[in-house]
Amino acid sequence: MLELKYIEKSFDGVQVLKNLSLQVDDGEIISILGPSGCGKTTLLNLILGILDADEGQIIYNGNDITDTPMEKRGFNIVFQDYALFPNLNVQQNILYGLRNRAGISTEKEIAELIKLLGLEEHLNKRIEQLSGGQKQRVALARTMVMKPHILLLDEPLSALDGVIKESIKDRIKTIAREFKLTTIIVTHDPEEALTLSDRVLIINNGEISQYARPNEIINTPSNDFVRKFILNQLEIKRNNIYALFGGFSAPAVMGYTV
Amino acid sequence: MKHKNTELKCIFVIILLLFASFLVIPTLNLLVKSFWGDNGFTGEFYTAVFAGKNFKSALANSFTVSAAAAVIAVCIAFVIAYAVHYTHLPGFLKSFLQSAAVLPMFLPTITYGFAIIYSFGRQGVITRLLGKQPFNIYGFGGLLTGYVIYTIPVAFLLIHNTMGYVDKKTITVSKVMGDNNLRTFWIAVLRPLLGTLAGAFIQAFFLCFTDFGIPASVGGKYDVIAVTLYNQMLGGIPDFNRGAVVAMIMLLPSVASIMLLRYLERYNIRYDRISQAQLRPGRLRDTAWGLSGTALSLLMLSIFAVIFIIPMVQNWPYQASFTLQHFKDVFSDSELRTIYLHSLSMALLTAFFGTMISYGAALITARSSLHRRCKQIIDSIALITNTIPGMVLGLAFLFSFTGTSLQNTFLLMILCNIVHYFSTPYLMMKNSLSKMNSGWETTAMLMGDSWIKTIIRIITPNAIGSLLETFSYYFINSMVTVSALVFLAGARTMVLTTEIKQLQYINKYNEVFVLSLLILFTNLVAKFLFSRLAEYTSKKYAYERKRK
Repeated sequence: MLELKYIEKSFDGVQVLKNLSLQVDDGEIISILGPSGCGKTTLLNLILGILDADEGQIIYNGNDITDTPMEKRGFNIVFQDYALFPNLNVQQNILYGLRNRAGISTEKEIAELIKLLGLEEHLNKRIEQLSGGQKQRVALARTMVMKPHILLLDEPLSALDGVIKESIKDRIKTIAREFKLTTIIVTHDPEEALTLSDRVLIINNGEISQYARPNEIINTPSNDFVRKFILNQLEIKRNNIYALFGGFSAPAVMGYTV
Repeated sequence: MKHKNTELKCIFVIILLLFASFLVIPTLNLLVKSFWGDNGFTGEFYTAVFAGKNFKSALANSFTVSAAAAVIAVCIAFVIAYAVHYTHLPGFLKSFLQSAAVLPMFLPTITYGFAIIYSFGRQGVITRLLGKQPFNIYGFGGLLTGYVIYTIPVAFLLIHNTMGYVDKKTITVSKVMGDNNLRTFWIAVLRPLLGTLAGAFIQAFFLCFTDFGIPASVGGKYDVIAVTLYNQMLGGIPDFNRGAVVAMIMLLPSVASIMLLRYLERYNIRYDRISQAQLRPGRLRDTAWGLSGTALSLLMLSIFAVIFIIPMVQNWPYQASFTLQHFKDVFSDSELRTIYLHSLSMALLTAFFGTMISYGAALITARSSLHRRCKQIIDSIALITNTIPGMVLGLAFLFSFTGTSLQNTFLLMILCNIVHYFSTPYLMMKNSLSKMNSGWETTAMLMGDSWIKTIIRIITPNAIGSLLETFSYYFINSMVTVSALVFLAGARTMVLTTEIKQLQYINKYNEVFVLSLLILFTNLVAKFLFSRLAEYTSKKYAYERKRK
């Protein structure tokens, strides 16, 4: 279990995270949702260990890891722009971590992972030859080979469109369920957060607006911000689709009920 | 971040020590020297220098000829760049124009002067073709010609680069809006380039103002400040304090030029992608610009033609028969062979260590989480090295290291070159590194890499193109530089450019040209090799290709 207790973080005197506390259970998929500049990426970076909190504690499985260096926490991240190494091909990227931690994944496990992510035919390709969705899957595979305790995903779907987005969404879910992997996703898209996660953490101005299951957020929004910012966006999307096509039912199209 | 950045801190300390020892202290030493006499602090050297009868005229001459040369160089560079970007000239002609415009970069400036003498002198090749001497080469005319040739490459590269990015569709927009040709030319071509043209002018002015090679050969009695400085230091009656004063005065316009350049940068119109011209066919336009560009390029090349012609004839102008004897003489002269090897070794070592230093500095500013102050210090170092002319740096080194074990050593000359040319390679590296994915180090660290492993496995392979460019820049400049080294090279540490200066005294111009050709070919071969290597690696690494 991951626990964050009374976390505070400021940049140049501007407080980005204010007295923030939360718990993430093992194997849960959590989305951190909020408008630009609300502090969601800062929170992700604090969990990963790129940044230090000014105040508060980060506890993982009962151990205080607040001062543990990033590389020793055992968490891993897939960046928004994937950060694939262009001088290496797909296979070399996926196996990169094994050069330092040989045997962390067996050949069989790696082969299964590659199959699960549909990358078998791309292994010898250069990174520039891949589409956005393929790059995303390579980055995911590279991270999964390291068997992270917690998988962090920074805006994993923002660079993808339509069908590919849905396919990657499914793969993330499959991976998380298959490996019983605690997964924390940063996103600014309410639809993405509500359809992908077990619980959604909504942040506004560095504070938690609501931390609950998707159906609770939809049915009982805790305050005006959640209602106006999050739910209105969904409403607008739904209305646009009705206006364009009519006759579709919202749940069938959007995958949620308002 | 929890990572301690130990390696980066070490690199920062090394860079700091290097530039403190070989930039800040020598420059401060120079400043002190200009104020410190036998009786302590005094302003008498400044008074004496300004009271000198030739000083003010030399200063005025420097301003006049540098400004005139900069205007002409920018105009010529504009014509050539326009012919490349805005016409339907055949590809080979565009390639020729581009190559001709940058050719002077591969030769030392001191050679331009001798090329002018042998082209436009009383017995010069062009004078004989024309039947009379077109202008007096010793003085304003010679300096102007030399400076224009010297600064065309820089002006061309700046204008050519910006022109590539200017949105060519604005020509079509302007036309369909009913603008006449002149108005279209202003709004779609000239206006977006104004900042660059001003920048090119200032850069060219700065280069002319601080150059020593050209006035050393064709200055004649038209004194400019670089010659005044040289004479104060290495003339008949050396006066080190007055030399320091002249160097400080020379520094002022240089600092002002660079400050102005940085200020003007904010007025540049920025485009984020290269734009191809979709021009209507225009035979008259193509002919006019093609002819102008080609004529200007040929004129420039004709001056350099003498470098090839003179060493291949018996005794110009008296015995004009073909011979390779001068080449044989030079190549069989073990002393000159040694000097060539000196130049080559110095250039290679400067390029290697200069590239390492620039790379290290750029890693700190572009890819580290070191404190902002550290990054500001490195940026300031780059700015300062950009403003200090080679002659001033050479003189500062002379004052600071005479009597030390570094005096008359290649190490000192290499350090001088590294410091002198640091700015451009550093900015090239910084630009390249900051465009790379910011998540690589974090990702690699999460995969178990140490910082140094990430640099070797990921960052360096992806920066190889820029590293080669940096290496090439340092190499070529080290091969052609004379202004700083003229104060530092000793009898046992002669390099080609300082030897050319020595050969001038004993009128051995055949040797001068053979050595110049040697520099030219070495640089062309080096440029070719580095370009091929860069091309190969950029094909290999997708990121670099996208970057370019």
